[in-house]
Amino acid sequence: MAEIVLMRNFSHPDSHTLNAYRANGGYAAWDKAREMEPAAITEAVKKANLRGLGGAGFPTGMKWSFIPKTHTGPVYLVVNADEGEPGTFKDRYLLERDPHALIEGMLIAARAIRCTLGFVYIRGEYVQPWRRFSAAVQEAYDAGLLGRGFDVIVHRGAGAYICGEETGLLSSLEGKKGWPKIKPPFPAIKGAFGQPTIVNNVETLCCVPPIITRGAEWFAGLGTKTQGGTRMYSVSGRVKKPAVYEASVSITLRRLIETAGGVSGTGRLKAVVPGGGSAAILTADEIDVAMDVDGLKAAGSMIGSAGVVVMDESVSIPEALMVLARFYAHESCGQCTPCRESTGWIYKMVHRIVDGRGHKEDLDTILDVAKRGAGTTICAFYDGAVGPYISYIEKFRSEFEALIPHA
Amino acid sequence: MPKLTVNGKGVEVPAGTNLIEAARTVGVEVPHYCYHPGLSIAGQCRLCMVDIEKTPRPSIACNTVAADGMVVQTETERVRETRKSMMEFHLINHPLDCPVCDQAGECWLQIYYMKHGLYDPRMKDEKVHKPKAVPLGPHVILDAERCILCSRCVRFCDEITHTGELGIFERGDHSEIGLFPGRELDNKYSANVVDICPVGALTDRDFRFQVRVWYLDTAKSICPGCARGCNIEVHVNRRRPHHAEGRRVARLKPRFNAEVNKWWLCDAGRYGFGFVDAAERLLMPARRQGGTSTEATWDEAIAAVAGALRRLTPDQMGIIASPKMSNEDLFALRRLIDLCGVRHVAGQVPPRVPGDEDDFLIRADKNPNSRGAELLGLGGDARTVIEAAGRRRLKLLWIFGHDLLASALPEPDVLEALRVVDTVVFTGSNANWTSAHSHWVLPAAAWVEREGTYTSFEGRVQRFRQAIEPLGQSLAEWEIVTRILAPLGEAPSATRAEHWFRQLAASVPAFAGLSYQLIGDSGRPLAEAART
Amino acid sequence: MSHGQPSTSNRASAVRAGLSDPATTISFSEAQLGEVRRLQSLYPDARGALLPVLHMAQETFGYISLEAEEYVATLFDLSPAHVHEVVTFYTLYFRERPGRHVVAVCHNLSCHLAGAPGIIAHLKDKLGIDPGATTEDGRVTFLTVECLCACEAAPMAQVDDRYELNLTPEKIDRLLEGLR
Repeated sequence: MAEIVLMRNFSHPDSHTLNAYRANGGYAAWDKAREMEPAAITEAVKKANLRGLGGAGFPTGMKWSFIPKTHTGPVYLVVNADEGEPGTFKDRYLLERDPHALIEGMLIAARAIRCTLGFVYIRGEYVQPWRRFSAAVQEAYDAGLLGRGFDVIVHRGAGAYICGEETGLLSSLEGKKGWPKIKPPFPAIKGAFGQPTIVNNVETLCCVPPIITRGAEWFAGLGTKTQGGTRMYSVSGRVKKPAVYEASVSITLRRLIETAGGVSGTGRLKAVVPGGGSAAILTADEIDVAMDVDGLKAAGSMIGSAGVVVMDESVSIPEALMVLARFYAHESCGQCTPCRESTGWIYKMVHRIVDGRGHKEDLDTILDVAKRGAGTTICAFYDGAVGPYISYIEKFRSEFEALIPHA
Repeated sequence: MPKLTVNGKGVEVPAGTNLIEAARTVGVEVPHYCYHPGLSIAGQCRLCMVDIEKTPRPSIACNTVAADGMVVQTETERVRETRKSMMEFHLINHPLDCPVCDQAGECWLQIYYMKHGLYDPRMKDEKVHKPKAVPLGPHVILDAERCILCSRCVRFCDEITHTGELGIFERGDHSEIGLFPGRELDNKYSANVVDICPVGALTDRDFRFQVRVWYLDTAKSICPGCARGCNIEVHVNRRRPHHAEGRRVARLKPRFNAEVNKWWLCDAGRYGFGFVDAAERLLMPARRQGGTSTEATWDEAIAAVAGALRRLTPDQMGIIASPKMSNEDLFALRRLIDLCGVRHVAGQVPPRVPGDEDDFLIRADKNPNSRGAELLGLGGDARTVIEAAGRRRLKLLWIFGHDLLASALPEPDVLEALRVVDTVVFTGSNANWTSAHSHWVLPAAAWVEREGTYTSFEGRVQRFRQAIEPLGQSLAEWEIVTRILAPLGEAPSATRAEHWFRQLAASVPAFAGLSYQLIGDSGRPLAEAART
Repeated sequence: MSHGQPSTSNRASAVRAGLSDPATTISFSEAQLGEVRRLQSLYPDARGALLPVLHMAQETFGYISLEAEEYVATLFDLSPAHVHEVVTFYTLYFRERPGRHVVAVCHNLSCHLAGAPGIIAHLKDKLGIDPGATTEDGRVTFLTVECLCACEAAPMAQVDDRYELNLTPEKIDRLLEGLR
């Protein structure tokens, strides 16, 4: 395993407190960054090859540089802590165990984008993480870290996966349904409350302080050519030691599964979801893949939020798809027609197949409907649903056919 | 002004124009549901996809602003396939109940399915069920299963009326349009949501199940409900009279006019046509003597009125014209007044209750042609005429349309005036207390039964066309006046309203230069000096 | 749901004290109204405080009734339909009075692989109700929910505001014992 960067403080029993954080060198990065020119901070983040760790993998420094230089009004920094991708739990650990790393990352990012107000949108179900993080924010205010040119509002969601989509999150932050916004305009031009806004994931911002203290080259060197650093892989499903593991983004999926103790259940691997529920599934012979943005893209899947769900040979793939199809039908916000109408329909079809009431044309219908809807909607939610719809059926078609009478 | 090409045709459009509107200017229709030019962009239906050169996949035209050098294709293979897919998505959970749906025949699901869909349905599962036949308010009824969630109605209530009654509740395929439980959709413009609903989800409670839309004929018209002059279409049922128990006017619909009402119409105006087919319509000329009314011929009626006009001195005659009359009617009447020297002339009868007004379309003045009446010197207050009658100076009082007994005029004064004047003549379309107290009743055609022009409060002259035949023997006011002018020595030169308008334009400076042709479908402002 | 400040027991006692009796007028205390104004002033647009204030309303009134929606709408100068849109969009706002405790079992992928169907069947059996329902004695509302992001400890559930991890039928039994 590579160097531990993000989870460096986790083993300390009081890692969530300001004292413990400071004792481990916390806020040194902020002390350094506050003397830096904003553009230099952005430049460092660009050089570090930091890419968004929430799902889309967009280069963070480049995102920051989209804030219009001529804009004179407020600019907002919004932290996406609406973790909800099936199979992902890393941000929960960061909020609970290293909240000051996030606050420090926010302070530095805010300086880079010349922002005086930040929001942290925490999913409503995360009550304990929300309390932990709120307490840390209070500590930071008491210590004068916050409230002197930069304020933080901690905002609780109310139960909707779509609010993890960055513009759905902004709508929700504005007190509305979490309907994603049509683009253009993009958030960096017109985001929260109509002002230029940068939305970053928790883990992404937690990478920023180490980049400042230890240098962009060091961070870039931890990863691959196109993505720097380490990241936190949430590993669950049929593995012996399900947990969150930090590793270089260059680690292979095979190595990661081994790190998590290897396959449990039958002990024989059938398939792996490499990047959260919305990632296309990989078969047992597709796991020699680097777990960075480009490695998984090349493998026809995506790293997404790095939620790895392992399935051994005893797992029913049709059932797994049914579970995910139910999720997408439940979480579709209902705004765009293709997603609203077909997530429900596809769930009904998959459910019927699993119940033994499938028709022989169902599989082709699902594939065709999924392909036709892909890329036609306002946000990436539906494309995320299409990943599993297509890959589960195409890669494990015989398993579905076995459930369909007269197929 | 960006220059772009749409399907190979070059077009230059104002900066900020989206691709749906840009395509429209070269006659290319990009199908869409959620987009409406009068509302904000929602981008939800995903139907208006077009191909733009150097763009990896089709883009929605509604949210794409035309840019210089853009090359847009609306009929590529993948655009057509995408449209077909979007049609299938829109119809997955739709009940497909066209045979019992009032929207059939003007439904954009039907129209676009035939044009862009034509796929074989694959949905075999139970559809999502939602509320059906839910009255939302006095005018609108909802079938949530037919709704395609385009959100036009929601945006209308948010952005146009700012009343916010409607919302989209729940999420996913359980999303549904609705009201806050217990509330009503009862704003003054509520029925516009029916017009903008592209499908059969929101239908008009008044129009519903009266007649199939394909039996309707339409005529361009102007709403006579207030001084705004909203442009409308009159939809009439002449082909299946048994479908609506003789009701000929099926409905009024707003007609786009950028300068007046845009796409909208208030409910009061929309549903104000009931008088046209009402039982109180005056169908025949009539004479009342000794408390009994008997039918008369037009010749008898005209001879009687013309005789009185010829016989009496100017000071013995009074005429109360009406700002509900057209410019042509008023100008013909003006000619008659001038010819006979009628001294006691007015046009405005103050309403008992002041009209409501808002900062959108509705005007307190509930007359369509007050401005025209003023310009022709017929805008005076009827009080003076009634007073003259009360002083027993008048032998003839000719009232157009007004019900003086339902006005703010003191009732005893009105009753006294009607009692003491020898000859009270009433010209109007519908019976009222005033007509019942008149000696002669000359039935007038309703505005949808004839043509003419009104001048709006902003000084815009607008044409309304004939949609149906005059009921009974009723005639347009200008025609009644023309017939009376003949025995008075004025050779009848006007056989159409337009003939009077030509004379009006030639003799009244405010109307100088205007003609029916020039006014066209969208109206023309008065000569500059007369506008305000 | 009871997720939220300051604690579930406060909410439960408020319910018992009749503070959220339907007959009681729906309104916040002066102190709460002060908090509403404070929250509204935090956001660049007051409407940003709508979700937090709805959380407050749920804490105070036990659930978000239509009356509560109308009340909150007046605090934000919004049409009640727009508040209703928000309340019906999110899963954590209860539109009917929930039980004194809420047991929300995750049935998403990792929990499914770890035996969530068995946990759900066990709860159905023990509580005698289907997911989405509340026991007749008003003790427990039983829900199935999507991924709560504690997959490393699947199967799991949220019980009131706590995450209960690595569930087994035996652990469920013990948990239910503790819910009064």
